[in-house]
Amino acid sequence: MNKRALLVATIVFVMFFVVFLRLIDLMLLDHEKLSRIARIQQTKGQEILVRRGTIYDRNGRELAINLERPSLYCDPKIITSPQKVAYSLGRVLKKRHRLILKNLKADRRFVWLARKVKPEVAEAVQRLKIEGLGFLPDTKRFYPKGTLAAHVLGFVDIDNRGLEGVEHTYEKYLVADGGRVYLTRDARGNILYRGGDYESVGDSIVLTIDEGLQAIVEEELDRALKKWQAEAITAIMMDPYTGEILALANRPTFDPNRPGRFRPSYRRNRAITDLYEPGSTFKIVMAAAALEERVAGLNSRFDCSEGVIEVGGKKIRDSHKHGVLTLKEIIQKSSNVGAVKVALKLGPERFFRYVELFGFGRKTGIDLTGESPGIVKPPREWSGTTQGAMAIGYEVMVTPLQILRAYAAVANGGYLVRPHIVSAVLSPEGLIIKKVNSTDKEKILSSRTVKLLKEAFKAVVSEDGTAAQATVPGNTVAGKTGTTRLIDPKTGRYSYKDFVSSFVGMVPADNPAFVMIVVIWKPKHKYYGGEVAAPVFSDIARKALAYRYIPREDILKKNILVVSRGIKNNISAVEVE
Amino acid sequence: MMDPLKTYRYDKVLLFSVLALTVMGVIMVYSSTALMSLSQGKRLITAQGDYQFFFLKRHIMTLAISVTAMLIFYRLTPRHMKAIAIPLLVIAVLMLLAVFIPGVGLKINGARRWLKLWPSTFQPSEFAKFAMVFFLAKYLAETEDAREKFKTFIIPIAVMGVIQLILLRQPDFGSAFTLGVITVSVLFIAGTPVRYLLLFVVAAVPVLVALLMEPYRLKRLLIFIDPWKDPYGSGFQLVQSFIALGSGGLKGVGLGAGRQKLSFLPEINTDFIFSLIGEELGLIGVSLVLLFFALFFVRGIRIAGRARSPFSFYLSMGLVLMITLQALINVAVVTGLVPTKGLPLPFISYGGSALLVSYMSVGILLRLSKAEPEQYSLATTQDLIKRRARLKARMIKRRAI
Repeated sequence: MNKRALLVATIVFVMFFVVFLRLIDLMLLDHEKLSRIARIQQTKGQEILVRRGTIYDRNGRELAINLERPSLYCDPKIITSPQKVAYSLGRVLKKRHRLILKNLKADRRFVWLARKVKPEVAEAVQRLKIEGLGFLPDTKRFYPKGTLAAHVLGFVDIDNRGLEGVEHTYEKYLVADGGRVYLTRDARGNILYRGGDYESVGDSIVLTIDEGLQAIVEEELDRALKKWQAEAITAIMMDPYTGEILALANRPTFDPNRPGRFRPSYRRNRAITDLYEPGSTFKIVMAAAALEERVAGLNSRFDCSEGVIEVGGKKIRDSHKHGVLTLKEIIQKSSNVGAVKVALKLGPERFFRYVELFGFGRKTGIDLTGESPGIVKPPREWSGTTQGAMAIGYEVMVTPLQILRAYAAVANGGYLVRPHIVSAVLSPEGLIIKKVNSTDKEKILSSRTVKLLKEAFKAVVSEDGTAAQATVPGNTVAGKTGTTRLIDPKTGRYSYKDFVSSFVGMVPADNPAFVMIVVIWKPKHKYYGGEVAAPVFSDIARKALAYRYIPREDILKKNILVVSRGIKNNISAVEVE
Repeated sequence: MMDPLKTYRYDKVLLFSVLALTVMGVIMVYSSTALMSLSQGKRLITAQGDYQFFFLKRHIMTLAISVTAMLIFYRLTPRHMKAIAIPLLVIAVLMLLAVFIPGVGLKINGARRWLKLWPSTFQPSEFAKFAMVFFLAKYLAETEDAREKFKTFIIPIAVMGVIQLILLRQPDFGSAFTLGVITVSVLFIAGTPVRYLLLFVVAAVPVLVALLMEPYRLKRLLIFIDPWKDPYGSGFQLVQSFIALGSGGLKGVGLGAGRQKLSFLPEINTDFIFSLIGEELGLIGVSLVLLFFALFFVRGIRIAGRARSPFSFYLSMGLVLMITLQALINVAVVTGLVPTKGLPLPFISYGGSALLVSYMSVGILLRLSKAEPEQYSLATTQDLIKRRARLKARMIKRRAI
């Protein structure tokens, strides 16, 4: 071996080394960067068919399902005689052939001809045996019960995306994988086909709604709407201990199967979006604060004999003169003057603390779309009239659900619950993925205060109270009426003919199965909450108690063995002495 | 220098490195071609059945032919090799010219580089390099004493120039370039005065410049400097090669799991197969390939170093350099170290002619690594006795087994 050969060999070895260094540079140092580029160019996101999860009521009854509705597309390049195809398709699809013809002549390789056609139409199209047509599996969301629980369920758009209600708030569960897969593609953009169709099935949702109760509520709302020719009605029924919404309905309503045909105002979930001045139902704040702070007892007396009181230059009146009233009577007869006097005794800061404690001015956190927090002015923004007005539920804006939650605290022993509409999320295989926490509650009132408040609210629903018509045969009801004037948008003053009438209550009073609020906007003929809303409460409550096999208290007292089906539908024998 | 009186078996290590590279080649050729993508509508379907093995079958067929050729060349003695040197060169030149005959030559992508040869095609440029090395070895061995003369320098250069001219007409710049590098290297090793070689290099510069004026070559050269400037146009190949190598990392994405073969990397089963190895087997895989080529090179120059005659020395040196340089240039191309040229990776790439020529070279190298005690010198009686005793002992041993 001569020197020159050795030199050449050395050069070759140096070349090996250089190449190796270059490989380390590319493969180790640039690894991250180049891998990222590789991932981007080698994959392609593709929309895939998602079968949305089913929505069930609390007992497993289907409220929202999917129907197989394949979509028809065509490849215009393959269509040889568009005229003929357009005519025969037009007959089958019952569409104008000109519209079809336009699509058949499009300068693309993929055009939708008809979205979500019925299976029998799809079959008829397939019988035509036209080259260049094809079906892609697609689904249409279907709400078998029609308008039932429409505001809770919400609705979807043509691409099955949830726009409102539970369909929207639980979108990420209902469509699970997001409807997009990343597939391997080649340099020409073709997808590496791995066999089978890419589809995903979303998780199912179990609501806290009871279809039976919902139906009862909606039936009664329809009746009340007709009877009072009201502009709108809302009713919410809730389990006071857990915050589970058992029924939630609004009138007017809409059909989620064809939401586009209804006005937006019909689709609005008034129970949580609409604000109103709660009126007398808001006196719970005054009463609770007075009792909790020991400013007054149930039997403390307040002189209301004048029937009018002036706060900040404005006169607040009672409907008629009452004389000297105890705190209990103030609530029972809904005396405005008495309520203002108690509130003044409390002072702004203490009063306002209880406004906040009951959660007014904050969202309740319910898992539905469009909830409003309400409007509550803090004491530093108060005018001279505010404290008086607020004591009787004016100058404060709340949602029906917020009022209901405040009364739930009385029903359940002093806890502020978080209302919710979904109890569990199920995987397609039926496994529980997520269980909604019902223990999320905060103690805001002492047991003593609760007991006393309940006494007062029971008195409301009696012959001497404002809500005599809220009584339910065989069971005691506790609750409170509310009647407020609406502001006339033309004059900017409180109207003398437009009212909001409401009743919120619990039944059976001592061991409530549910709390419920009924709010009626602009009823005709009559307007007092005790006359308009209380009967609706009574009708719903009577049927609901029967539906849930809640034993009548008067029968229980007669020492009879009864089989009771409780809240959770678990059967237990109850013996009472 | 081998001991003239000793018996040398063929170089097993060299054969091992070649076989290792070949096995990797078979696997990677299958990996790169198994998933042939047929576009159908919007989706891509996986090639079914026979199509999957189409390239693999052909590769194994050429491999069988190549191994046969290797065994034939292994049978040749150095004297035979010397005898066939000139005929080989003549055949090579004739085949190179035959490419231009319509009906015989085959034009692919505007280049006439292939001969139609049922059932396959043949690329004479590969063979031309092989023949050139033979000619060089023979000529240099015969002019061992006249190395200083300009004539002994200019004749091989002239032969090389003729072949290069034909190659450039095809056009096949890559082969012409490699041929030049091999020739000059062998001339250098043979002791050609450096001034002649420098003269050649100086003379070659204007030719190279003239050739670079060809727009597509200039473009290739420029894009090599920064392929990311036009990643979807002329830089596409190189960028895709980088992406393949880079996404492989240390361990690779896994055998068969490479994605760059989905039409991203062009010439994936031939010129850019090294990138696919990088993607699927990572730095570990490509280092192994480099290691085997280095082993091949080391054993190759060991064979050359032990050669008993100048002819054997030049021949083995030329062939080893031919294969090793080709491998290095291929790797340098796919890693963007030198401008793109259509060169296959020896032993690994799919492609008949290169594989055949490489195996023919291996046959020669193995033959040159093997040696009986020199038949033409007089062995002493003692040596013969020793040898006979050794053979006898071996036979007894074999029988015992």
